[in-house]
Amino acid sequence: MKILHVERLSKCASANESIISDVTVSVEEPSIIHILGGSGAGKSTFLRILGLLDHPDRGQIYYRGKQAKEWLAAEWRRHVAYCAQLPVMLPGTVEDNLRIVSRLHHLSFDPNEVKHLLELVGLSYLDWNKPAFALSGGEKQRVALVRTILMRPEILLVDEVTSSLDINSCQMVKNFIKRFHQEEGGTVIWVTHDLEQAKDIGHRVWFFANGRLLENICTPSFFHHPKTEEAKSFISCRTSQKNGNEGVFV
Amino acid sequence: MSNLALFSTLVFIVITIAVSFWQKLGLEKDLAVNTARSAVQLFLIGYVLQYIFRAEQPFLILLMVMMMVSVASWNVAQRGKGLKGIWWRAAITIAFTELVTISLLLGFKIIEPASQSIIPMCGMVAGNSMIASSLFLAQMKREVEASRAEIETLLSLGATNRQSIQDVIARAVKASMIPNIDNMKTVGLVMLPGVMTGMIVAGANPLEAVRYQILIMFLFATSPAITSMLLSLLTYQLWFTKNSMLKEKREL
Repeated sequence: MKILHVERLSKCASANESIISDVTVSVEEPSIIHILGGSGAGKSTFLRILGLLDHPDRGQIYYRGKQAKEWLAAEWRRHVAYCAQLPVMLPGTVEDNLRIVSRLHHLSFDPNEVKHLLELVGLSYLDWNKPAFALSGGEKQRVALVRTILMRPEILLVDEVTSSLDINSCQMVKNFIKRFHQEEGGTVIWVTHDLEQAKDIGHRVWFFANGRLLENICTPSFFHHPKTEEAKSFISCRTSQKNGNEGVFV
Repeated sequence: MSNLALFSTLVFIVITIAVSFWQKLGLEKDLAVNTARSAVQLFLIGYVLQYIFRAEQPFLILLMVMMMVSVASWNVAQRGKGLKGIWWRAAITIAFTELVTISLLLGFKIIEPASQSIIPMCGMVAGNSMIASSLFLAQMKREVEASRAEIETLLSLGATNRQSIQDVIARAVKASMIPNIDNMKTVGLVMLPGVMTGMIVAGANPLEAVRYQILIMFLFATSPAITSMLLSLLTYQLWFTKNSMLKEKREL
């Protein structure tokens, strides 16, 4: 059975302008999928629709063979969990934020497990009594990620969660998400602008341009033999940008 | 009060209109129209009440209370514009608050089971519930907008609609009760409240007036609590789509 299936999904901004056009795609087995594309390609909206936080205008999504509307939204979101680009800390302390999943779902809270997860994302030093709003952007991002993982979702939807992190923290988060896939058998659908990350740890690429899914292909093929002109131009543009940036620092 | 004395009270309105004219506030027409309107309304209700008090018919009391609840609910619905079915939700809330408070008042024999006691109490409870409902809805609108990210984060963590909006509701309920709580703190120190003032002016013993005022104060502490809590239960789903997503402001 397919883990996730998207059937002819569309979303419009207005009568003449579409954000996502007629996207059909499936996740057959646990994997790390990167959603790539330029700004305004519809990547984040697509991810929010998968997390049932935005509604499509047409089309259906299925998780484990059951259509979204047959699921209780709260149940769906436990299995298909969304972690936003801009992390939001709930009122209270760091501990309140870490305990929220246990509180919402009446699960037991294991402080040692949480400590271990925080260690993995480089936050072992964190004072749990600190007000959550006082954390730095990068700390909030990692706490939000740990908070989401504590739900034990089967699919993790992550939207540019490494964009506000330094190189070390970024690497730790990549390893953390990779571990989620390898040890827990989870699927990750990850919106990113980081092509190196997609190359390093991704299995597939979904390439979006102008709201259309132009490529659904395994990662090495995408980088070595992109099928569409849009993908070729996107890769070369990003590669030259990266080289240019590196040149500045040399 | 003699007719001349009653007519003389218009001097207060004349002063207000003069101030408005002098300061170019543009309130003259509103003041004149609403003065006439309120006088006509009060005289009409005076005649209606006189008739009902003499008739002592339960169905007339019920009719009067239903009218009060309908008008109060219509007023609340204006505040909650955009929320589907808000009128009947407000009507149920205000009617329920009336039922609980008046039943307690009658059950404990605090008031007489007579139209002269029931109708004024119902009027006060309806008015107080109406204000609490309007404050609650206005505060909910502000709180939902201000806490949109918080609510959505909770939804994304698998919270139910109720769980995700619980803190927002608590803040709005609290806000709708603040005027009455503040009023209780300063009553008798800052101003003499309406019922007490009315009774003293009408010649009642001040201690007897205080007893009635205490009853009204306690009643006013209960009714907004019941109102805003029940209204929150009946309305919280209106902020969400049927797929359990938080509605955009334009969707309300």
